[in-house]
Amino acid sequence: MDNGFWLALLLVSAGTLCMRLLPLLWMQRHLLKQKSKGGLAAIPGWLSVLGPLMIAAMLGVSLVPASPGWSAWFATLLGALSALMAWLWTKSLGWPVLVGVSIYGVVILLARISTGG
Amino acid sequence: MSWRTGAREATPLLGGYIPVAISFGMVAVQAGFSVWQTILISTLIYAGASQFLFVAMVAAGAPWGLVVVMTLLINARHVVYGPSIAPWLPKSRWWPFLSHGLTDQIFALALSRLSQLPAEQRLGWYSGAMLLAWFSWVAGTAAGAIAGEELSRHWPLLGEIMPFALPALFLVLLAPRFTSRTWSIALGSTIAVAMLLTLYGFTNASIPLAAASGALFFYLAKLHARTGGRLDG
Repeated sequence: MDNGFWLALLLVSAGTLCMRLLPLLWMQRHLLKQKSKGGLAAIPGWLSVLGPLMIAAMLGVSLVPASPGWSAWFATLLGALSALMAWLWTKSLGWPVLVGVSIYGVVILLARISTGG
Repeated sequence: MSWRTGAREATPLLGGYIPVAISFGMVAVQAGFSVWQTILISTLIYAGASQFLFVAMVAAGAPWGLVVVMTLLINARHVVYGPSIAPWLPKSRWWPFLSHGLTDQIFALALSRLSQLPAEQRLGWYSGAMLLAWFSWVAGTAAGAIAGEELSRHWPLLGEIMPFALPALFLVLLAPRFTSRTWSIALGSTIAVAMLLTLYGFTNASIPLAAASGALFFYLAKLHARTGGRLDG
């Protein structure tokens, strides 16, 4: 397995890096060119729509509990609502995450205790 | 010290990164990889879902070529991230290294925060956030590979509770974007489609597919607004 492993690791690492790096460099060059021509340096409209939608998709994926059950879903609902309330209250990043995780954890713990698990 | 701000604001990511990295370390060692191979996978590939697939396919005896193609296919969504945040990032000779840390979560954080920072602080902010996340992923992997079973025996619930930091963070990053009915429809439908696909087991394909369907809803809602004039854009 060793030779195959090293080659596969190298190819996947290089490929992933290229997918992260090359489009960034290409867009930076494209924006500089637009600027030098006196135009407005802006990314294409579809890309500015796709960015927030990718975050929304990550949210959807991460909201599904690893082992779905009523307690996990209930904890997810309460955790998400409390994070949202904390965000409305503080408009910060850290506190809402802390509040969301704490409420989620408390519900999971209570569910475990109530089922004797 | 903009890199400190970046590192501080990336701290919530650790709640999601470390438990998942620990489980990756455990899974990889159980699949027959050595501790060093496991740590190298996390250091060099640094992309959660594709690392799990890489290890699972190797353990199942899949041909190396197929392992490479499938792993890269999962990571293909990353091509959108760099161009989306490019307007806020200055040119730098460090990008070949810094872009290695452009993961899903760092992208989400950067897309929301970079535009709010002064131009001269953005590269430092990104570097601090990216380095903290990368180190935590590698350290979590090492901990999982070396002492994963003992860690999960001592703190069995921690691995279940801490990953909720990721949806909580995404929610907070996304909340300010519900600015109109068009955006609410697009974002809401994306979240719903991603959840459905994940529930039906299409976790790896769900991010690009859900985002694409959200984009379709966005343009349909915009079209409806133009023709009917009832939705705002």
